[in-house]
Amino acid sequence: MFIAEDLTGPMTEPILIDDLTFAYDTHDVLNGLSLRVPAGSITALLGGNGAGKSTTLSTLLGFTRARSGRVEVCGMDPATDPDAVRRRIAYLPENVALYEHLTAVENADYLLALSGERQGHDAITAALAAAGLQDQAWHQRLGGFSKGMRQKVAIAVALLRRVPVLLLDEPTSGLDPRATADFSQLLLQVRERGTAILMVTHDLLSAADIADRIAFLEAGRVAHEVRADGPERFDVRALHARFQLGGDRLAA
Amino acid sequence: MSAVGLIARDEIRLMTRNRVAIIAFVLVVLLTLVAVASSWAHQREIAELRARQAEAAETAFKAQPDRHPHRVVHYGTFIFRPLGPLAAFDPGVDAFTGNSMFLEGHRQNSANFGDVRQSSLLVRFGQLTPAFVLQVVAPLLLIFLGYGALARETERGTVRVLMLQGAGRGQIVRGKLLALGAAALLAGLPAMIGLAAISGQPGALAWPMLAIALGYAGYLALWTVLILLVSASVRRSRDALLALVAVWAVAVVLLPRVAPDLASAAVPLTNRLQTEVAVARDLRTMGDSHNPDDPHFAQFKRALLARYGVAKVEDLPINYKGAVGIEGERLTSAVYGRYATANHVAQARQNALVDAMGLLSPTIALRSLSMAAAGTDLAGHQRFLEQAEAYRYALVQRLNRMQMEDVSYADDGATDAGADRRKRVSARKWQAMPDFRFIAPDGRTLAAAALPGLAIVFAWLAGALILLMVASRRLGAR
Repeated sequence: MFIAEDLTGPMTEPILIDDLTFAYDTHDVLNGLSLRVPAGSITALLGGNGAGKSTTLSTLLGFTRARSGRVEVCGMDPATDPDAVRRRIAYLPENVALYEHLTAVENADYLLALSGERQGHDAITAALAAAGLQDQAWHQRLGGFSKGMRQKVAIAVALLRRVPVLLLDEPTSGLDPRATADFSQLLLQVRERGTAILMVTHDLLSAADIADRIAFLEAGRVAHEVRADGPERFDVRALHARFQLGGDRLAA
Repeated sequence: MSAVGLIARDEIRLMTRNRVAIIAFVLVVLLTLVAVASSWAHQREIAELRARQAEAAETAFKAQPDRHPHRVVHYGTFIFRPLGPLAAFDPGVDAFTGNSMFLEGHRQNSANFGDVRQSSLLVRFGQLTPAFVLQVVAPLLLIFLGYGALARETERGTVRVLMLQGAGRGQIVRGKLLALGAAALLAGLPAMIGLAAISGQPGALAWPMLAIALGYAGYLALWTVLILLVSASVRRSRDALLALVAVWAVAVVLLPRVAPDLASAAVPLTNRLQTEVAVARDLRTMGDSHNPDDPHFAQFKRALLARYGVAKVEDLPINYKGAVGIEGERLTSAVYGRYATANHVAQARQNALVDAMGLLSPTIALRSLSMAAAGTDLAGHQRFLEQAEAYRYALVQRLNRMQMEDVSYADDGATDAGADRRKRVSARKWQAMPDFRFIAPDGRTLAAAALPGLAIVFAWLAGALILLMVASRRLGAR
């Protein structure tokens, strides 16, 4: 199994956001946002453009400093100790940035070594295979990779990290339906190991497939939060009708 | 491996996978090796040639037959400035200040009044020396290798990827510094090996070599930091390249070229012709020893007669003509010396201005320290001129004294059949005269002369490091 077993600490809520506010100049982006992501769960954060989804992730990663409120990742404030926080987070951005002069395996090896979690060649290739990257691409430089192929490399790196928190920003945007389904299965495996997963997305369908909770972000705060309810999970059509969100796939 | 080591290793891996960078690097290393070999061979050739010429001139001078000493004064002799071994690394101003001088009575010749400082870096573009490669070419290579080190990461978003793996901004910058520093070290190594090889030559000096090695190491370190500073300050690697090439063009090419011209404009030197005319005018007003009515020499004659208690020159126990020769040489040397001093003072002021411009261009500071430590700067040339003039004056006065003591006044003026033989002095006299030997300054003196330039280079380095620390705080913030 390529996914690491051990997670650091018995943290019950590795992601904790309480009454968070943030503004670009005079424009309020986050306005009293509160959110908790327990260990071993997947929370999907949905919202329209400008609702504050990316700002929330940026704040958790320590790249954006909130105006007020409380943010904790594994009990640490990202604003005061960003390097320590980042060592506990695996992050999969919407637009994957990787090194074009390196092969897929070299990218993974380099980034894992930097995070202090170096793994063997077999573990890396297993993760790449699990992320859906064809084996002939493992030792090719990323210069000729499509967006989806890069996404798969980044997924492999994120999943190989031994961290308690996984942040995902539109993780399936570059993936085909088959790869999207495979990715969902991977996320479920990661959740089983106790990882707190926060997934920012427009895609209500994929969120409804795997999330334990869905938080709807409006005007910089969580307007509604719904939990998976029994084996039927979410009633997607009802949610869509109620919140008028994430309609791309649904409308199609 | 630490995060810094990993980042450095990846940056080096990127360089080694860039074919253009590899070719450029190999070319610079080859250029340096050629420069070291050719400069060393050239320096040895010049040194041998000058030694041969000096020996030939000494032999010719000593081969003069028995003759009147004043004929020896006008026969004169050539002397040559020997090249120190460090001139193979940095020949400095040697190529355009002149290195030989004809010594004769009544005048100072040759390079004393040459417009030495008006020549500038462009002259040196014609010379391929290790110093030139390190001063001009190596920074350009480092720019092409390192301009994107941080700007590329910012542009492509990978700087945040590094930070998300837990690498701090400081670690990222130190990793890049380490990688580019290693490239700088490799680029500078062939020249430093050449310098070490020079140390095997007799006469090479440890202290000045240390100053040179420190100076160039500091200079290349400075470029490494400057490149990363610019790379950290812009958002696109293309902008970093443009900015760095502009900085290189101004600091390495333009300012060192403009600085001497500005100094020349601020402190004009009289050219050789103007000096010759002025000296001739002063000599005319100084006094004429052949004119019995000349007030200065009339007074000189009275004083001499009084000192010996005689009424006329024929009664003097010495040859009056020799005494007049000594006095005349003293006066003419004083006139030449006055112009030489004025010229040297003006050149020193020009040099001080150029050196001050090292605050604007570290290349100027490096050139100053490099030439000073190699003993090939203007001060080294000045040292040669002073020793040459001291030797010339002593030689001529010694010959004048021979005329005064070994040739009688009566014989000196006689025109009878045997007079010519009686006026002659034995050739053994000039055979016994000491040869000119240039006394090179010791290592500590040369190294001390390099200290101001060294201080400026390291002040630049410290300033650039501080700015890099400030600029790196914004890494990944955009």
